[in-house]
Amino acid sequence: MSLTASVHKRLSEHFSLDIDMSAMPGITMVFGASGSGKTTLLRCLAGLVKPDSGCITIGAEVLFDSVRSRSVPVQQRHIGYVFQQLALFPHLSAEDNIGYGLAAMSPELRRQRVKAIAESLHITHLLSRLPDAISGGERQRVALARSLVTDPAFLLLDEPLSALDHATRSRIMDDLRAWNVAHRIPILYVTHSHREVFALGERVIVLDGGKITSDGTPHDVMESPAHETLAQLAGFDNFFDGTVTVRRADAGTMQCRLDGSGTEMEVPLSRGAVESPVRVAIRAGDILLATSEPRGLSARNVLPGRLVSLKREGATVIAGVEAGERFLVHVTPGACESLRLGVGDPVWLIIKTHSCRLVSL
Amino acid sequence: MDWLAIWLSVKLATIVATILLLIGLPIAYWLTFSAWRWKFLVEAVVALPLVLPPTVLGFYVLVAIGSRSPLGRAWTAWTGHGLAFTFEALVLASILYSLPFAVQPIAASFAQVDGTLLEASSTLGSSRWRTFVRVLLPLSFEGVLAGAVLSFAHTLGEFGVVLMVGGNLPGITRTVSISIYDSVQAFDQAAANQTALLLLAFSFAVLAGVYALRRKSWSVSPL
Amino acid sequence: MIQLMLFRRTFVRLTMVVGLGLLSTTAAAQDLSIAAASDLQAVFPVVAERFERETGKKVGLTFGSSGNFFSQIQHGAPFDLFFSADHDYAVRLEASGLAERGSLYRYAVGRIVLWTRNDSGIDVRRGLSVLVDPRVKRVAIANPEHAPYGRAAVAALQREKLYEAVRPKFVFGESVSQAAQFIQSGNSEAGIIALSLALGPALRANGSYSEVPAGSHPPIEQSAVITSASRHKDVARQFLSFLKQPEISRMMQDFGFTIPSNP
Repeated sequence: MSLTASVHKRLSEHFSLDIDMSAMPGITMVFGASGSGKTTLLRCLAGLVKPDSGCITIGAEVLFDSVRSRSVPVQQRHIGYVFQQLALFPHLSAEDNIGYGLAAMSPELRRQRVKAIAESLHITHLLSRLPDAISGGERQRVALARSLVTDPAFLLLDEPLSALDHATRSRIMDDLRAWNVAHRIPILYVTHSHREVFALGERVIVLDGGKITSDGTPHDVMESPAHETLAQLAGFDNFFDGTVTVRRADAGTMQCRLDGSGTEMEVPLSRGAVESPVRVAIRAGDILLATSEPRGLSARNVLPGRLVSLKREGATVIAGVEAGERFLVHVTPGACESLRLGVGDPVWLIIKTHSCRLVSL
Repeated sequence: MDWLAIWLSVKLATIVATILLLIGLPIAYWLTFSAWRWKFLVEAVVALPLVLPPTVLGFYVLVAIGSRSPLGRAWTAWTGHGLAFTFEALVLASILYSLPFAVQPIAASFAQVDGTLLEASSTLGSSRWRTFVRVLLPLSFEGVLAGAVLSFAHTLGEFGVVLMVGGNLPGITRTVSISIYDSVQAFDQAAANQTALLLLAFSFAVLAGVYALRRKSWSVSPL
Repeated sequence: MIQLMLFRRTFVRLTMVVGLGLLSTTAAAQDLSIAAASDLQAVFPVVAERFERETGKKVGLTFGSSGNFFSQIQHGAPFDLFFSADHDYAVRLEASGLAERGSLYRYAVGRIVLWTRNDSGIDVRRGLSVLVDPRVKRVAIANPEHAPYGRAAVAALQREKLYEAVRPKFVFGESVSQAAQFIQSGNSEAGIIALSLALGPALRANGSYSEVPAGSHPPIEQSAVITSASRHKDVARQFLSFLKQPEISRMMQDFGFTIPSNP
C-alpha cells in the first residue's frame, strides 16, 4: 500500500508548506535543511497538525480530505512515529514502552510480540530497564521497536539517528532495512545528513522552503544538485557567481567569467545565454593541487594561486587557496606531507569541467 | 482541647480537598491545554480567592446562599432547612476559597510534562483519556499531590470565610480556627495556645512533606 | 510506576475517609442553639451548664456581637434563642416576623466600666478623664457601629466632653469581649467594657475597674427573642423560664446585671 499526500499549510507570513508526493513501500528519505518544513510534513501525515487543505491517503483509506471535511484523528491512523527526541516514557520500562501501543492485546500476546521485536532489534537484555538506564543507540532501538511493534500502516522517522556515531547508525540502519524487507510499508525518513541518504535511501525527496525541489534516487539528486541549499547539504563547499561568456553547444561546455576576479572557467553547458548569470558549485574533494605548473592535463581548468591556509580536520586537510577567488581544497595528510605544503606557497588548482556544477540561485 | 472542633476541621478539609481534586484536575487540564482566546479570564477567576479578603468572599457566599437568596430558598424547599450556617455551606465556601491552591500546582505540574510524550502516546493509539491516565498523571503526580495537600492545609486554617458563612455553631460549623478565637474571647489563653500549637505543628508537617516530595525546581512558593 | 502506585493508594484512602465523613451525622446533637451577646461570656456558660444538669437538654452557646447575630439571623442562621445586648435588634426581629411574636423578654440591663490591668499603672478611680493621660496610648472599646456597649462608651465619653481627645486612641473590638481581650493581653492600656466581663473570673484576677455612672449614657437594655425558624421553641421557652428562677436571677445580678421588671 502506498502513501499519497497533497498538503498545503501556511505556517507564517513568509512560509507555507506545499507538498504533493507519494511514497511506495520502502524507505523514502526526506532531505532538507532545518526550517525547510520536513517536521511539519511528518506532523501533517501523522495527524498531529491539520493542513489547511489537501488530501492524505494510505492505500484505499482516506486519512485527511479537506474537500470532504474528513480528518481521521491521530490515534486512529495506525502509524508509527519516531520523534527526534525519541519521547520514551520515562516512568515505564523498555518493555512497557514498547508494549504501550498494544493495549488492546491480551498480556500474553503482548509480551510475545514485544519479545519478538526486541529480538529483531537486539535489545532483549534491556527490557526491564527504565529509559534513563539505557544509553546511546539502544534508546533509539527501543523507540524504533515501540513504533514497529504495532504493525503500522506507514512509518515516520524524524531524524532518529542524528545524535549517534557513524558505526552505531549503520548497524541500526541495517536492522531497519532488514525489517523493511519483511514488512513492506512506506517509511518516511527525515534527515539532514547526506551520508544517511546514500546509506539508506531507495529514493529521496528534497524539501526547500516548504516545497519539493528534487525527487529521485540519491545518486541523481545529490550528484547534480539543482539548488544551492541542496548543494550545500550535499557537501559542496565552493560557490562562485559568474557570467556566461562563450557557449560551445557542440562540445557540451560553456565558458564563464567569475565575477570579482575575472577568472575564466570552463563549465558544463546549461540553458543560460551569453551574459546571463550563473552560480558554480565545486566540491572541495574534486579539486587537485599541484606545487608546480602542470602540463599536458586533460582538465580544462588550471588556475594559479597561493596557499593561504591549512587546517587538519580528522582524516582530511582543508587547504585554502587564493586563486582570484578563494577556493577550499581537500587533500590527504600524506599528500600534504610529501608535497611539503606550506602556507604562502604558490600552487595550481586543477578542476575538471564536469566537477563544476551549475546550481540555480 | 476542643476535639469536636478539630474533628470538624479535619472532616471539612478532607472533603474539600477530595472535591477539589475531582474538579481541579479537569480545570487544570483545560487551563494547560486549551488555546481559547479568553482563557486568561478563567485563570483570573481561579486565582481570585488568592487576593480577595476572606470577608469579601464570605460576604458574597452568604448573600448567594442565605435564606433570602434564590439558591437558599430552593435549598430550603428541597431539604427543609436553610443552606447558610450549615456544614455544607462551609464545604461550598471552602471549595471556592481553596480552589487556586488545588488548581495552580496541578496546572503547573501538567505544563512541565513534555508535550512530545503526550503526542507519542497519541501516535501509539491512545485516546486522550488513556494518555491522561497513563502518561500525564503519573508524570505530574507530585503536582497533583501538592494540590491536594495544599488545599487540605489551606482549608484547615480558614477563618474569615468560615466565620461569616458558618455562624460558629458548636459541632456544626465551629472549626478549629474559630475555636481558638473563641478561647481567646473567653480569656482561656491556655486552651487557645494548645489548639493553636497543634494546628501550627500539623500545618508545618504538611508543608514540609510537600516540599520534601518535590524533587524538581521549586522557588519559594509552592503555587 | 512507584509514583502511580502511591497515587492510587492515596486516592483510595482519601475516598474512604470522605465516604465515612459524609456518612457520619454532622451535628453533635443539640437541643438548643443560643446566640448570646458577648457580655454574657462570663455568666452564661455557668447558667447553661446548670440548665443542662437540671433538664438534661444540651445547649450550644455561640458568643459574639449582637449586630453580627442580627444580620446572621436575617440570613437564616439557625439559632433558637437570641440574647441581644441591644433591645432594638430584638424589637426589629419581632417586627419583621423573624422572631416569635410575644417572645420578647427583657433579661438584663447592662453597665459599662473603665477597666485596666493591675500592672498598667493607670488609676481607674480617677474616672474616664484618665484616658486623656499620655500614658494611655490605646483605648479599647467595642465597635460602636454594631455593639451596644461600644455605643454606650462613646456616649459616656461625649457626655464628659472627652470624646474628641480620646477618639484618636480608639482600638475597636469586634465585640465587647474582644475589646476586653485587647486590654487583658496588654495591647491597650485601658478601655471601656462590660461590667459583667470585668466581674468574670479571668479579668477579676488581674485587673481593676471603676463604674461609669449609669446616667452618662442611654441604658443598655438587653432583650431576648425566640426565632420564628426555631425547631425547639418549647425548649427555648423552658430556658427563658429557667432564667427567671430566683437563683439564676441572683447569679446574673452577681455579674453586675440589673434584672428589669417584665410586664
